[in-house]
Amino acid sequence: MAPARLATSLLGTLRAASTRPAIAWRQRCLYHSYDYAQPPPFPPAESAILSCAYAHVPSHGFTIDTLKLGARDAGYLDVSTNLLPRGVFDLVNYHLVTQRLALQNNVQFPEEGEQGNKMGVGAKVRKLTLARLRANEAIIHRWQEALAIMAQPTYVPVSFAELARLADEIWFLSGDQSVDSSWYTKRATLSAIYSSTEMYMTQDKSANFVDTEQFLDNRLQDLIKVGGFVGGLGEWLNYTGHSTINLLRSKGARI
Amino acid sequence: MPPRISLRQARKLPPRSAVWVRAQPQRRFASSSADAPDVYDVVCVGGGPAGLSLLTGLKASPITRGLKVALIEGQDLQKTRLPRDASLETFSNRCSSLTPASVRNLQEIGAWAHVNTPRVQPYQEMQVWDGVTDARISFDWHTAKPLLSPRNPAQPTTIAYMIENLNTVTALLSRLEQLGGVDFYTSTKVNSIDLGADTEKMDFSSWPILTLSNGKRLAARLLVGADGANSPVRTFADIESRGFDYGRHGVVASLKLAGQGWGGPDHKIAYQRFLPTGPIAMLPLPGNKSTLVWSTTPERAAKLKTLSQNDFVAMVNAGFRLSPTDLEYLHTLPSGQEEEVAWREEHTPVNERAIPMQVADVQAGTVVSFPLRMRHADTYTSERVALVGDAAHTIHPLAGQGLNQGQGDAAALVRTISHAVQTGQDIGSTLALESYTSERYAENNAMLGVCDKLHRLYSVESGPLVGLRSLGLRAVDAMGPLKALFMSRAAGGS
Repeated sequence: MAPARLATSLLGTLRAASTRPAIAWRQRCLYHSYDYAQPPPFPPAESAILSCAYAHVPSHGFTIDTLKLGARDAGYLDVSTNLLPRGVFDLVNYHLVTQRLALQNNVQFPEEGEQGNKMGVGAKVRKLTLARLRANEAIIHRWQEALAIMAQPTYVPVSFAELARLADEIWFLSGDQSVDSSWYTKRATLSAIYSSTEMYMTQDKSANFVDTEQFLDNRLQDLIKVGGFVGGLGEWLNYTGHSTINLLRSKGARI
Repeated sequence: MPPRISLRQARKLPPRSAVWVRAQPQRRFASSSADAPDVYDVVCVGGGPAGLSLLTGLKASPITRGLKVALIEGQDLQKTRLPRDASLETFSNRCSSLTPASVRNLQEIGAWAHVNTPRVQPYQEMQVWDGVTDARISFDWHTAKPLLSPRNPAQPTTIAYMIENLNTVTALLSRLEQLGGVDFYTSTKVNSIDLGADTEKMDFSSWPILTLSNGKRLAARLLVGADGANSPVRTFADIESRGFDYGRHGVVASLKLAGQGWGGPDHKIAYQRFLPTGPIAMLPLPGNKSTLVWSTTPERAAKLKTLSQNDFVAMVNAGFRLSPTDLEYLHTLPSGQEEEVAWREEHTPVNERAIPMQVADVQAGTVVSFPLRMRHADTYTSERVALVGDAAHTIHPLAGQGLNQGQGDAAALVRTISHAVQTGQDIGSTLALESYTSERYAENNAMLGVCDKLHRLYSVESGPLVGLRSLGLRAVDAMGPLKALFMSRAAGGS
């Protein structure tokens, strides 16, 4: 069962007029609960402008012009783009956040696979990552502009935080429940794989992005190999540690 | 039933044991009732080479001869015995390389005289090379001489002796029958092992009581586990065994070569080639016979077993001649390896005298495989329990040390028990058994470690490690004294 992390009709809720001050929208919950719906990520006015501007991205790119066009479409003045303190970056952020939150609705896992076997966590991660990459398809020709904006020193921490949230979302949706140190390594490796694949995708000219899919599969293969090596190393270290203690014991050491 | 230890022998024993001896008539009386177990000094579970060597050692020594011992073995040892007049045309596929140290031990306990000698093949040289780079090392006592002084002519030239496990077991059994005094429970399984109870007659609360499949119950002052890798005795003693599965299978087969070997009948050579999937080894048997041990992946092992005899022979020849890439391809063919290998061999230049002679035939029904793993028990002894052989440790077969380790264990345990008897200790106490673990654990651990590292080193197919290992191999080959050191370690110390 896909957990309800957010009210399903995200955009609908956003469009509903609200008089609450914008600051309330920025309050973030530091934990996740199944019992309470998370608040929508953007205040209504921002949301209205950004969603209209987003439609102009394929033609006008991630620029201030796109934002102005969006404001006009939403029935605001051009100057109301000042609502967005970070300018174009807010538009990039809007794409990142909405696509991340859309994952849980866009990707459905069948209860049972074709051969009657359940989908493993690895296969789910692959499917989710691919779905997130596919969400870039409409704007992929403009995505390098967005990457350039995200790479500006002011926005780097925010961009990385968003990447981390995406990796977390993917692992969460795939049903990973690890509570050990692998929680960190899993998120770190997926972040690296996702960002490199996304970079590759901006250069990908193949039909239906088959090359990107191949690239992602290769990276995931590498990960399995490295994981196997690390697992083997752990097993070996465990054995060697025990055998050292046993050796000392056999010689009469009281340990 | 007379007392097991005569009073004359009892007088030789120190007071503590004498107390127990005096309890004998009483126990004899008690043993007639159904629930009292038969009391033994040493009960050995498992009649393999290690267990039999231990019992023979105990019975061959005048100090421990008086101990009441029993052997429990699930198979009928008489049925599997090697007949005296066995044909030299067929050999068992389970062969081992006995180091000179193991042979010396067998001689000391008088078992070597019972060995069927025509079926034993000593070898004088060993050729080992890297399947990826062809870096080579040859082990023979002529090249491995001290730096300046000439070779000591009195030193034997034999590296090790190839012998069928069946032959070793039969020799030990014959010697044991000659010595007598062992209660054999063959074709008998151990149903359960429990700790005994504190009865009026005797306190068995620390004693293992074995219930056999024939309904008999035995109490063991010392229970020896020689019962293989999945040892029930080790489970009873709650000793953990650690290690890993290699994900490899060992394929063995009895082969017939085109000739007696490049060195003739008096200078036999063993060959081992390290392939990335594992080493392939051909070890000489008498005449033009050889035995094969090929460590490979489980899929390839399964493939090799399904091949026709001719294709299997071709694959073995290819294993010593063709490149790892060729071999990988050959394993994907459903059949017809014979023609494919013949064609490929024409185009692969090899120095025929540096590799084993062409295999002519494989003895039908001898191609079998077994999984390779490494295990080492946390300790070899606990209260009234000692482990020997595979029950204590399982090793990769690449150095052929498994059986020799078991023989070393048995000899060390005999020494420990006889020391305990001489000094009047309870032979089952942890104090008395301590010296056995301390003598063997480090040595076995080192051997396990070396074989494990060699396996890992040679599983690498490419990268800088391949160059380094080849450089190291050539360096050792060039340095006689260092090579002599390795050889003497592999021969079992001395």
